[in-house]
Amino acid sequence: MLKYTATVTAIGPLTGEFVEAGILVLFGASAPDELRDFAIIHDGVALAAPLASGDVVWVDAQRFSVLAVGDVANENLKNLGHLVLKFNGETAPELPGDVCVESLPLPSVSVGTVLRIEGAERPA
Amino acid sequence: MAEGQYKKVRIKKGPRGWGGPLVVQPKPGKDLIYSVTGGGIHPVAQRIADLCGGKPFDGFKSKAGFEEIAVAVIDCGGTARVGVYPMKKVLTVDIHPTSPSGPLMRFITEELFVSGVRPEDIEVVE
Repeated sequence: MLKYTATVTAIGPLTGEFVEAGILVLFGASAPDELRDFAIIHDGVALAAPLASGDVVWVDAQRFSVLAVGDVANENLKNLGHLVLKFNGETAPELPGDVCVESLPLPSVSVGTVLRIEGAERPA
Repeated sequence: MAEGQYKKVRIKKGPRGWGGPLVVQPKPGKDLIYSVTGGGIHPVAQRIADLCGGKPFDGFKSKAGFEEIAVAVIDCGGTARVGVYPMKKVLTVDIHPTSPSGPLMRFITEELFVSGVRPEDIEVVE
Protein backbone atom coordinates (compact mmCIF):
# COMPACT_ATOMS: atom_id res chain seq x y z
CA MET A 1 0.00 0.00 0.00
CA LEU A 2 1.06 3.60 -0.53
CA LYS A 3 1.72 5.10 2.91
CA TYR A 4 2.94 8.55 1.98
CA THR A 5 3.43 10.63 -1.11
CA ALA A 6 4.90 14.08 -1.55
CA THR A 7 6.38 16.34 -4.18
CA VAL A 8 9.39 18.50 -3.36
CA THR A 9 8.52 22.20 -3.48
CA ALA A 10 11.73 23.84 -2.24
CA ILE A 11 15.27 23.01 -1.19
CA GLY A 12 16.91 24.92 1.64
CA PRO A 13 20.28 26.59 0.97
CA LEU A 14 21.94 24.76 3.90
CA THR A 15 20.66 21.26 3.06
CA GLY A 16 24.28 20.35 2.25
CA GLU A 17 25.18 20.29 5.97
CA PHE A 18 23.06 17.17 6.26
CA VAL A 19 23.67 15.69 2.81
CA GLU A 20 27.40 15.57 3.59
CA ALA A 21 26.53 13.37 6.56
CA GLY A 22 24.38 11.07 4.40
CA ILE A 23 21.11 12.52 5.66
CA LEU A 24 18.09 14.02 3.94
CA VAL A 25 15.94 16.17 6.22
CA LEU A 26 12.40 16.84 5.04
CA PHE A 27 9.71 19.11 6.41
CA GLY A 28 6.16 19.89 5.37
CA ALA A 29 4.99 23.23 4.05
CA SER A 30 4.35 24.75 7.49
CA ALA A 31 7.98 24.60 8.67
CA PRO A 32 9.36 27.93 9.89
CA ASP A 33 12.13 29.64 7.91
CA GLU A 34 14.99 28.52 10.16
CA LEU A 35 14.09 24.89 9.44
CA ARG A 36 13.44 25.51 5.74
CA ASP A 37 17.06 26.63 5.44
CA PHE A 38 18.23 23.11 6.26
CA ALA A 39 15.42 21.07 4.77
CA ILE A 40 13.78 19.72 1.68
CA ILE A 41 10.26 21.14 1.74
CA HIS A 42 7.40 19.11 0.31
CA ASP A 43 3.64 19.13 -0.07
CA GLY A 44 2.90 15.77 1.62
CA VAL A 45 0.04 15.78 4.08
CA ALA A 46 -1.42 12.47 5.17
CA LEU A 47 0.36 9.41 6.53
CA ALA A 48 -1.89 6.47 5.63
CA ALA A 49 -0.14 3.97 7.90
CA PRO A 50 2.94 4.06 10.16
CA LEU A 51 6.30 3.44 8.49
CA ALA A 52 8.02 0.18 9.37
CA SER A 53 11.16 -1.65 8.38
CA GLY A 54 10.57 -3.48 5.12
CA ASP A 55 8.82 -0.48 3.56
CA VAL A 56 10.27 1.04 0.41
CA VAL A 57 11.11 4.70 -0.13
CA TRP A 58 11.00 5.79 -3.75
CA VAL A 59 12.74 9.01 -4.70
CA ASP A 60 11.53 9.42 -8.27
CA ALA A 61 12.61 6.08 -9.78
CA GLN A 62 15.26 5.24 -7.17
CA ARG A 63 14.35 2.58 -4.63
CA PHE A 64 15.58 2.39 -1.03
CA SER A 65 14.53 -0.28 1.46
CA VAL A 66 13.67 0.91 4.96
CA LEU A 67 15.80 -0.94 7.51
CA ALA A 68 14.83 0.79 10.76
CA VAL A 69 12.32 3.33 12.04
CA GLY A 70 12.96 5.34 15.22
CA ASP A 71 10.37 5.75 17.97
CA VAL A 72 9.33 9.30 17.10
CA ALA A 73 9.78 9.13 13.31
CA ASN A 74 6.13 8.37 12.60
CA GLU A 75 4.91 11.11 14.91
CA ASN A 76 7.24 13.58 13.17
CA LEU A 77 6.05 12.60 9.71
CA LYS A 78 2.38 12.60 10.63
CA ASN A 79 2.39 15.92 12.49
CA LEU A 80 5.00 17.96 10.68
CA GLY A 81 5.76 16.23 7.42
CA HIS A 82 9.19 15.83 9.01
CA LEU A 83 11.35 12.94 7.93
CA VAL A 84 15.00 12.26 8.67
CA LEU A 85 16.25 9.78 6.08
CA LYS A 86 19.65 8.30 6.87
CA PHE A 87 21.34 6.38 4.06
CA ASN A 88 23.50 4.43 6.48
CA GLY A 89 22.47 0.79 6.22
CA GLU A 90 21.76 0.61 9.95
CA THR A 91 19.18 -1.90 11.15
CA ALA A 92 18.71 -0.16 14.52
CA PRO A 93 17.93 3.56 14.64
CA GLU A 94 20.74 5.55 16.27
CA LEU A 95 18.34 8.35 17.17
CA PRO A 96 14.59 8.32 17.81
CA GLY A 97 13.77 10.44 14.75
CA ASP A 98 15.71 8.30 12.28
CA VAL A 99 14.41 6.39 9.31
CA CYS A 100 17.36 4.28 8.17
CA VAL A 101 17.59 3.00 4.61
CA GLU A 102 20.17 1.14 2.59
CA SER A 103 23.69 2.48 2.48
CA LEU A 104 23.62 3.87 -1.04
CA PRO A 105 24.65 7.19 -2.57
CA LEU A 106 22.06 9.85 -1.80
CA PRO A 107 19.55 10.40 -4.56
CA SER A 108 19.54 13.75 -6.28
CA VAL A 109 16.57 15.76 -5.18
CA SER A 110 15.24 18.88 -6.82
CA VAL A 111 12.00 20.81 -6.95
CA GLY A 112 9.44 18.47 -8.48
CA THR A 113 11.07 15.26 -7.22
CA VAL A 114 8.39 12.82 -6.09
CA LEU A 115 8.81 10.88 -2.86
CA ARG A 116 6.67 7.82 -2.23
CA ILE A 117 6.72 5.40 0.67
CA GLU A 118 5.18 2.01 0.10
CA GLY A 119 4.35 -0.60 2.69
CA ALA A 120 5.83 -4.04 2.23
CA GLU A 121 2.79 -5.99 3.31
CA ARG A 122 -0.03 -6.69 0.93
CA PRO A 123 -3.61 -6.24 2.10
CA ALA A 124 -5.20 -9.53 3.18
CA MET B 1 3.30 42.93 30.07
CA ALA B 2 5.63 45.16 32.08
CA GLU B 3 9.07 43.86 32.84
CA GLY B 4 8.35 43.32 36.54
CA GLN B 5 5.57 40.89 35.72
CA TYR B 6 7.86 38.36 34.13
CA LYS B 7 9.34 35.65 36.30
CA LYS B 8 12.55 33.72 35.98
CA VAL B 9 12.19 29.96 35.52
CA ARG B 10 14.72 27.18 35.85
CA ILE B 11 14.45 24.20 33.47
CA LYS B 12 16.33 21.05 34.35
CA LYS B 13 16.88 17.91 32.34
CA GLY B 14 14.44 15.04 32.77
CA PRO B 15 15.18 11.33 33.03
CA ARG B 16 17.93 10.30 30.54
CA GLY B 17 18.08 13.92 29.42
CA TRP B 18 21.18 16.05 28.79
CA GLY B 19 22.37 19.60 29.38
CA GLY B 20 21.06 22.58 31.27
CA PRO B 21 19.79 23.61 33.63
CA LEU B 22 18.63 26.65 31.70
CA VAL B 23 17.36 29.81 33.30
CA VAL B 24 14.79 31.62 31.20
CA GLN B 25 13.70 35.15 31.88
CA PRO B 26 11.49 36.81 29.31
CA LYS B 27 11.67 40.54 28.81
CA PRO B 28 9.66 42.97 26.72
CA GLY B 29 10.25 42.20 23.03
CA LYS B 30 11.86 38.85 23.88
CA ASP B 31 9.08 36.93 25.56
CA LEU B 32 7.99 34.25 23.09
CA ILE B 33 7.88 30.65 24.28
CA TYR B 34 8.41 29.27 20.79
CA SER B 35 6.92 25.81 20.37
CA VAL B 36 8.30 24.03 17.30
CA THR B 37 6.43 20.82 18.00
CA GLY B 38 3.79 18.67 16.37
CA GLY B 39 0.17 19.30 17.38
CA GLY B 40 0.36 22.92 18.50
CA ILE B 41 1.69 24.40 21.74
CA HIS B 42 3.34 21.60 23.67
CA PRO B 43 2.41 21.22 27.39
CA VAL B 44 6.05 21.90 28.30
CA ALA B 45 5.93 25.19 26.38
CA GLN B 46 2.60 26.05 27.97
CA ARG B 47 3.98 25.35 31.44
CA ILE B 48 7.04 27.55 30.82
CA ALA B 49 4.76 30.33 29.57
CA ASP B 50 2.39 29.99 32.53
CA LEU B 51 5.22 30.18 35.05
CA CYS B 52 7.32 32.96 33.52
CA GLY B 53 4.62 35.12 31.93
CA GLY B 54 5.95 34.64 28.39
CA LYS B 55 3.71 34.23 25.33
CA PRO B 56 3.11 30.73 23.98
CA PHE B 57 3.83 30.81 20.23
CA ASP B 58 3.38 28.10 17.60
CA GLY B 59 6.36 28.24 15.24
CA PHE B 60 4.51 26.15 12.64
CA LYS B 61 1.59 28.58 12.52
CA SER B 62 3.20 32.02 12.70
CA LYS B 63 6.52 33.70 12.06
CA ALA B 64 8.78 35.36 14.60
CA GLY B 65 12.32 36.71 14.67
CA PHE B 66 14.96 34.97 16.78
CA GLU B 67 15.42 38.13 18.84
CA GLU B 68 11.82 37.75 20.08
CA ILE B 69 12.32 34.19 21.35
CA ALA B 70 12.92 33.67 25.08
CA VAL B 71 13.13 29.90 24.66
CA ALA B 72 12.38 27.35 21.93
CA VAL B 73 10.64 24.07 22.76
CA ILE B 74 11.15 21.21 20.28
CA ASP B 75 10.16 17.54 19.98
CA CYS B 76 13.22 16.61 18.00
CA GLY B 77 14.31 13.08 17.38
CA GLY B 78 17.97 14.05 17.45
CA THR B 79 19.16 15.29 14.05
CA ALA B 80 17.85 18.62 12.84
CA ARG B 81 15.95 20.91 15.20
CA VAL B 82 18.26 19.85 18.01
CA GLY B 83 21.04 21.86 16.36
CA VAL B 84 19.27 24.62 14.47
CA TYR B 85 18.12 26.65 17.49
CA PRO B 86 21.36 26.37 19.51
CA MET B 87 23.18 27.41 16.31
CA LYS B 88 21.11 30.61 16.41
CA LYS B 89 22.03 30.99 20.12
CA VAL B 90 18.41 30.40 21.12
CA LEU B 91 17.86 28.61 24.45
CA THR B 92 16.42 25.22 23.47
CA VAL B 93 14.35 22.66 25.34
CA ASP B 94 13.86 19.21 23.78
CA ILE B 95 11.06 17.14 25.26
CA HIS B 96 12.80 14.00 23.99
CA PRO B 97 15.89 12.84 25.93
CA THR B 98 18.41 13.55 23.18
CA SER B 99 22.13 14.22 23.57
CA PRO B 100 24.23 16.30 21.18
CA SER B 101 24.13 14.59 17.79
CA GLY B 102 23.67 15.30 14.12
CA PRO B 103 25.71 17.48 11.77
CA LEU B 104 25.06 20.57 13.90
CA MET B 105 26.10 18.99 17.21
CA ARG B 106 29.01 21.39 17.60
CA PHE B 107 26.49 24.11 18.46
CA ILE B 108 24.73 22.14 21.20
CA THR B 109 26.04 23.09 24.64
CA GLU B 110 24.86 22.69 28.22
CA GLU B 111 24.42 26.46 28.40
CA LEU B 112 21.99 26.53 25.48
CA PHE B 113 20.28 23.14 25.50
CA VAL B 114 18.42 20.83 27.86
CA SER B 115 16.52 17.64 27.00
CA GLY B 116 14.10 15.04 28.29
CA VAL B 117 12.17 17.90 29.91
CA ARG B 118 8.76 17.23 31.49
CA PRO B 119 6.37 19.87 32.87
CA GLU B 120 7.54 19.03 36.41
CA ASP B 121 11.14 19.86 35.48
CA ILE B 122 10.30 23.55 35.28
CA GLU B 123 10.13 25.80 38.34
CA VAL B 124 10.03 29.47 39.18
CA VAL B 125 13.27 30.86 40.60
CA GLU B 126 12.67 33.42 43.35
